[in-house]
Amino acid sequence: MDMLFFVVLMAIFAAVFIFLGYLGYKRTKTAEDYFVAGRTMGSLIIAFSYGATFISAVALIGFSGIASIYGHSILWLAFLNIFVGIFIAFLFYGLRTRKMGLSLKAMTLPELLGNRFKSVKLQQISGLIIGVFMVAYTSAVFLAIASLFQVTFGIPYWVCVVIFTVIVGIYLIVGGLYAVMWTHAIQAIVMLIGMIILTIGIYAMLGGIGPAHEAAAALTPANLTSIGSPAASQAPNGLTSMPPLLSQPFMMLLTLIFGVGIGVLAQPQLIIRYLTAKNEKALRLAVPYGAIFILLMTFFAFSIGPLCNVLMYQNNIMYPVKDVAGVMTANPDAVIPTIINEFFPAWFILIFLFAILAAAMSTAAALFHTAGAAIGRDVYEKSIKNRSSPQKSILITRIATFIIVIATLIISLNPLDVVAFMTAFFFGLMACTFLAPYTLMLYWRRTNRIGVWIGMLGGFLFTMAWYILIYFKTAPKIIGTPLIGNYMINMLDPIFIGLPLSFLLTILFSSITKQDKEEEAIMKKSFENI
Amino acid sequence: MILILGMDLGVFIAWIGTLLAAALCVVYGLYYSLIKKTEEQPVLPKKQEKKQEEER
Repeated sequence: MDMLFFVVLMAIFAAVFIFLGYLGYKRTKTAEDYFVAGRTMGSLIIAFSYGATFISAVALIGFSGIASIYGHSILWLAFLNIFVGIFIAFLFYGLRTRKMGLSLKAMTLPELLGNRFKSVKLQQISGLIIGVFMVAYTSAVFLAIASLFQVTFGIPYWVCVVIFTVIVGIYLIVGGLYAVMWTHAIQAIVMLIGMIILTIGIYAMLGGIGPAHEAAAALTPANLTSIGSPAASQAPNGLTSMPPLLSQPFMMLLTLIFGVGIGVLAQPQLIIRYLTAKNEKALRLAVPYGAIFILLMTFFAFSIGPLCNVLMYQNNIMYPVKDVAGVMTANPDAVIPTIINEFFPAWFILIFLFAILAAAMSTAAALFHTAGAAIGRDVYEKSIKNRSSPQKSILITRIATFIIVIATLIISLNPLDVVAFMTAFFFGLMACTFLAPYTLMLYWRRTNRIGVWIGMLGGFLFTMAWYILIYFKTAPKIIGTPLIGNYMINMLDPIFIGLPLSFLLTILFSSITKQDKEEEAIMKKSFENI
Repeated sequence: MILILGMDLGVFIAWIGTLLAAALCVVYGLYYSLIKKTEEQPVLPKKQEKKQEEER
């Protein structure tokens, strides 16, 4: 690939985003403009922004790689991504969140909780949890993406990190959520183009859907072993068949599918998108656009992952590996880049590079914006005694976002071990901490402050304990050996226990305690338009 | 083992289920944009609501 051509295109890409940042700046007059894009967004922008935030480069490349190991069984996650992540999310959460957000004048998830239960502390603690863990998660996303660029395209790690951070930081801090959502629309289109060409190309090479899947089904463990593919052991019934019930690969898929598939409902960076809708219709019409976008992203990514094994086997290409502490281990993240480098023309390599860049930037921008709002608006501003003006509120959040961007840059350049497994951590933690209080707040009038506090903290503490002491991916890195050795337990995502626990605690303590008069009045107000 | 489009039953259900879920979302969008033409009530502060009721 011509480096000069790449640099020129990159400069154009960056210039367009920074220009959109400038337009966002010109349009940002109030706090509502900065935090929820003035509640003026239409269905297409909401859908693309939601999708581009949801689908990071890690999901695009990493999950294709995971599909190359576990086979097409991972398509269950694509089903949940659309049915839960779009249909249920927009219709059962989005519509009510928007109405309640309007009634309570809330612009972030912590503010929604804080205003609904008349508790500044609740808003601050929620904001703190989101802010702290989101910085680590963003660093993890950067780490994965920059490593990918380094391995695949030979661009030095620190150059990738600095370029991402500077470009995203500028248009985000200057232009607020307007800039973020407009850039998301462009980034989503680039992602769509890259993914559609890639998928059609791979299926065309293998003779269409039926023949491609049959070729994958025909690969035996011996065939897979001959190219060094981990699918030989991880897809024991074949690449197009479900693994044996309760086997290790089955448990791995179960934890991945439900952890991400259900966890999506409580992601603060996605919830903000509901609050940006100009009217109810915009949210309702975002459903088909969002579904098509996610279909073309995750369904395509999960479909082509296993087929990469067929291409590698037919062309005598070895499954990519990486050096981990002197030991060569399979590197699923490099599967898609390997296939692209081997089978696609140079112009497509460039398009796909930008698709990955777009996916990385869109997710990073949304995370920075949400973390900045959490720390600036929900934590710091609420600790100031005098109410700040809208302009001061925006300034505080811009400064908080700048600090978060710098902190992420520093962590990404000097990654700690803990950062690397934050991607496994984040979805589950947010779901177990916020999903129960958030759901009950929207649907159950008796939910009260005490119930929400206990449900939220109970879910949070349980999940942290599970990740530190038991979960198979994280516990070995923190305490050496998981406290429970049985894989059927230690491979379970905490969402399976933490989420029901959080619901139980919120319902139990809301039932045995009563709302005070002030809380009751706010509850009535918040349900006024529902 | 019976394979449908090269997939076993469990995987095929996920595959077709994903397409059907997307189709459901598209049908929902069409229904709302073409058939059900309702728009939400504007959010009114309580005082304004009372005033309107009195006027009626």
